[in-house]
Amino acid sequence: MIYNIRHLTAYSYTRQVASARLVLRVTPREEIGQHCIAYTLNISPLPLSVETEHDFYGNAVNVVTIDTEHKELSIEAISTVELTHQAALPLSGEPWEDISNAALLSRDLTGTAPAHFMFASSRVQLSPEVTRYARDSFKPGRGILEASRDLIRRIRADFDYEPEKTDINTPLLQAFKQRHGVCQDFAHIMIAGLRGLGLPAAYVSGYIRTIPPPGEKRLEGADATHAWVSVWCGASVGWLGFDPTNAIDVGNDHISLAVGRDFSDVSPVYGMFVGSGGAELEVEVDVIPVTAPEPRAAKL
Amino acid sequence: MSTPLPSPKTPAAWYENYKPLPGIPDEFIGADGKPRASWRNFLEQVDAGDSERSFAAADRRIRDIGVSYRVHGESSERAWQMSRLPLLIEETDWTEIVAGVTQRAALIEALLADVYGDGRLVGDGILPAAVVAGSRDFVRPMVDMKPPGGRWMNMYAVDLGRGPDGRWWVLGDRAQAPSGAGYALENRLVMSRAWPAKYRGMNIERLAPFFRAFRSSLADAAERSQPRICLLTPGPFSATYFEQAYLARYLGFLLVEGDDLVVNNGLTHVRTIAGLKRADVIWRRVDSDFIDPLELNGKSRLGVPGLLSAMRAGHTAVSNAPGSGFAESRALMSFMPRIAKHLLGEELRMPNIATWWCGDREAQRDVLEDFDDMAIAGAFGNEIPGFAAEQQVLPGSLLPADRARLREAVETRGLDYVGQEVVRLSTAPVWSDGKLVPRPFVLRVFATATADGWRVMPGGFCRISARPDARAVSMGEGVQSADVWVLSSKPVVMETLLPSTDKVQIRRILGNLPSRAADNLFWYGRYLERAEATLRVVRCLCARSLEMDLSSGDLSKTLTLLGHQLFAWGAVTEENEEAPTFTIARQALCDDQAYGSGLSGVRLARSAGSIIRERISIDASKLLRILDNQLTNMDELMNESDVFEAADRALQTLAALAGLEQENMNRSAGWRFLDMGRRTERAINTCRLARTFASDDATADDLDVMLDLIDSQITYRSRYVIGVALAPVRDMVLLDPFNPRSVGFQIASLQAHIADLPVLYEDGLLEEPRQIVERLGTEIATSAAGNLETSTILAFEQKVTSFAEAVATRYFLQRPELPGGLGASGLA
Repeated sequence: MIYNIRHLTAYSYTRQVASARLVLRVTPREEIGQHCIAYTLNISPLPLSVETEHDFYGNAVNVVTIDTEHKELSIEAISTVELTHQAALPLSGEPWEDISNAALLSRDLTGTAPAHFMFASSRVQLSPEVTRYARDSFKPGRGILEASRDLIRRIRADFDYEPEKTDINTPLLQAFKQRHGVCQDFAHIMIAGLRGLGLPAAYVSGYIRTIPPPGEKRLEGADATHAWVSVWCGASVGWLGFDPTNAIDVGNDHISLAVGRDFSDVSPVYGMFVGSGGAELEVEVDVIPVTAPEPRAAKL
Repeated sequence: MSTPLPSPKTPAAWYENYKPLPGIPDEFIGADGKPRASWRNFLEQVDAGDSERSFAAADRRIRDIGVSYRVHGESSERAWQMSRLPLLIEETDWTEIVAGVTQRAALIEALLADVYGDGRLVGDGILPAAVVAGSRDFVRPMVDMKPPGGRWMNMYAVDLGRGPDGRWWVLGDRAQAPSGAGYALENRLVMSRAWPAKYRGMNIERLAPFFRAFRSSLADAAERSQPRICLLTPGPFSATYFEQAYLARYLGFLLVEGDDLVVNNGLTHVRTIAGLKRADVIWRRVDSDFIDPLELNGKSRLGVPGLLSAMRAGHTAVSNAPGSGFAESRALMSFMPRIAKHLLGEELRMPNIATWWCGDREAQRDVLEDFDDMAIAGAFGNEIPGFAAEQQVLPGSLLPADRARLREAVETRGLDYVGQEVVRLSTAPVWSDGKLVPRPFVLRVFATATADGWRVMPGGFCRISARPDARAVSMGEGVQSADVWVLSSKPVVMETLLPSTDKVQIRRILGNLPSRAADNLFWYGRYLERAEATLRVVRCLCARSLEMDLSSGDLSKTLTLLGHQLFAWGAVTEENEEAPTFTIARQALCDDQAYGSGLSGVRLARSAGSIIRERISIDASKLLRILDNQLTNMDELMNESDVFEAADRALQTLAALAGLEQENMNRSAGWRFLDMGRRTERAINTCRLARTFASDDATADDLDVMLDLIDSQITYRSRYVIGVALAPVRDMVLLDPFNPRSVGFQIASLQAHIADLPVLYEDGLLEEPRQIVERLGTEIATSAAGNLETSTILAFEQKVTSFAEAVATRYFLQRPELPGGLGASGLA
């Protein structure tokens, strides 16, 4: 499966901005089942410098310095990505308690090691309520995949998708109690539940292919950035993605950009600008299959 | 009937009934039940009468110099509570401490280098990866970085207590940004003055050499041989801001906040009045997470965007390196003996309190088994997850519901908790109600990295609990701090911070003034001058009102004008605009609800001064405090005469402050900004007063008041035999270059100051503030009093205001960098 992706972030400021420094995480990751064939970054105004680095978690980061005065800033990331995930694993996985014990004993401290993803982090506070909610899916001895799939199914069933009611700063517990939110809230809630049980869980930002209703054409720019959860399923299986917003395994419809402990590690566009006014933001995403679309993974 | 004189208390009376707590070692009374020799020696020489005087002197000094700290969440500072007795440590004890601390500092340095570098400890199974990853101070961008300067820590501190077995135990490591060294220094200064004879006579180790070593340690981390070292502070709201300002002054470092620094092209610079100047070494008191909003906590306003990238580029040393706070995790303590063996091949010389990390299933089981005999604490950081208010809890003393909740938490997420042995600390004598009583204490000891290994400060920062049974001591309600005297068996060599070599480069001007300091000095000057102007009007108002019946009928109009002036300056609130003279005068003098009152001006000056505390002399701080007290007595003022007296007294104190500035401050850029603030404000206020009292239709009374307000009655009468007339008064108020209160004099001073300040580009062009002030100076110098009009005076005033704006634009911090974190909108 090959996609052409366009991701535009445009700011329009109320006053002139003297300079800006941006940290971008908009390059598709290189990982098993995902290969980035091409990547271009178009920034206006023309930056003084664009440096490419990799952060601790192995995400590609563009550090951009702009030193010309501007009122409009646009960042357009264009990429071509090939996805070759195998069909979802049918197995149930090792008992989740064994996974938790294995994580505690792990001798790995590299960026993808489970140890980094077991603790509370700046946007994932652990609480008995959320842990209890997750525990209903994690019955003693249940396999990690089976239990995770049960959890995303319940989140999908119990929570309403309501883009207007939460924003990037809504606390996790508030979204949890009100039973609504967007992909970011659902991912954070799921992560809090898993970590509350002592399981390593990571936050993934990326894109998802949207399929227009039958008979309608895809609207340009109508796709969106997305977020889901990666669960460590033991040393032999490794990390597997679960999408609590859609209650599906992560497969060839998900293109991942960055992995971290929570949103604050992977924010696609973050920066500081020298200026005093406010800003308006517009985001457009197009995820266009180049090869013939495969049938979507069956809903669980 | 005569009262018998109180019999002088002998030292013995102080400690007659001194009894150590059962089963707890005491510093004063030895295991044999007798006072230890050093304490006996110290106390026997203390005469009761003398001691009261010495104590009083110590109390006064603490108050005078304003040693203070801030309890988290409080907006005002508290005075330091200091024990009147030092803690005495004998040489044998100290040798044990030095050996233990030296080893531990080296161990922690090796631990940091390993965890951020080779990863042997984790790879070899000595340390579980989760113990590293769980710490908020494990700073991931530091992995694989070799910190510029080559070290993770230049200063390390450790909290010690003496256990029941008489040995010293490590209670906690301080590797991030240890506080307390400055307080130790200040405590020493106070104690050495309170007990001069004993301090000289007892062979007490001096602190200065340690600080000299520390300064070299930081300087050695720099690339350049004459490095600029900055102390990065979180700002005046930090609990230990006093200490930071104190150390910056003592060590000769530049005190900076995040906004003062900027990273460009891999180098770090300080924003100064002369443009960007290189910062070589940054000694940080800002926690790692807040130090770089680009790479770490994006919400931080305390850090410097790009600082970590500057470290990676290799030209900026940040000390202690971000991420060193990881070594403070309690969870690490249980692994320390094995880490010591693995990294150093040594046994720990000083034990740490027994600790069990509950992320280890076996340890978790043990802790749950002995749950009620343990202290439970957070494995990482100061908080116990789920019990944020405490640093440590004793399950046995919790309510049943809380105990059950804690137990469940330890069962579910053991990795967040440690169990620790319950420590009972040894006690030291403190003064309480005229006698000595035993109280538990914690001793913080400091070490600095030198070319010859770790060097321990012979002394420390001792905190003594207010309660006899305290098991944890932190700086808060009722805790006292004590100076720590390390006794040597040999005479101690006197040393100060003076360098031992004679290769000292002579310097007269100390670097470039940071923009923030310039800003605050300027406003400090302006606020003081503003307070003075208000007080002068208040004094004049009261005097005129008292003379009322002696003078002509027009006088009441002049009184109204004075009242309106105070209202226009915000010294009088709206409801009092038409109030009687007394009410107006009293409010303008000392009501902090009126933003332009004399008291408000003084408070604003104090607050600007607190940000540049390291640049304000102790004498000046003292005068400011006196001034505040003089103006904080609204209820005692019964009539105009009282208000007059109070204003007059306050004006004298202000004059003393101005005198200090003129006579004691170095003629550096800092002084120029302070004086420019004063001159600018005085020029504006004088123009303002002249527009009212020397307007085109001014009466003789108005002109008389004008002369009063600028202290020029006598000069006027000696120059002019005629009575008051408009043109001569205007000349004296606005143009006269010889009258230090005239607008012309202020502008001439401003011209001189601006001409002396550095320029950004050597292109021969005048910068904007200078253009404005030169034009205005020429205009005033060439004006004739007879041709002036009220509108001309207004034009002068507006030009001074635009000068102040130009100064701000040119020299002060502009437009802070705002975080614009986003990318979330449009989330699916």
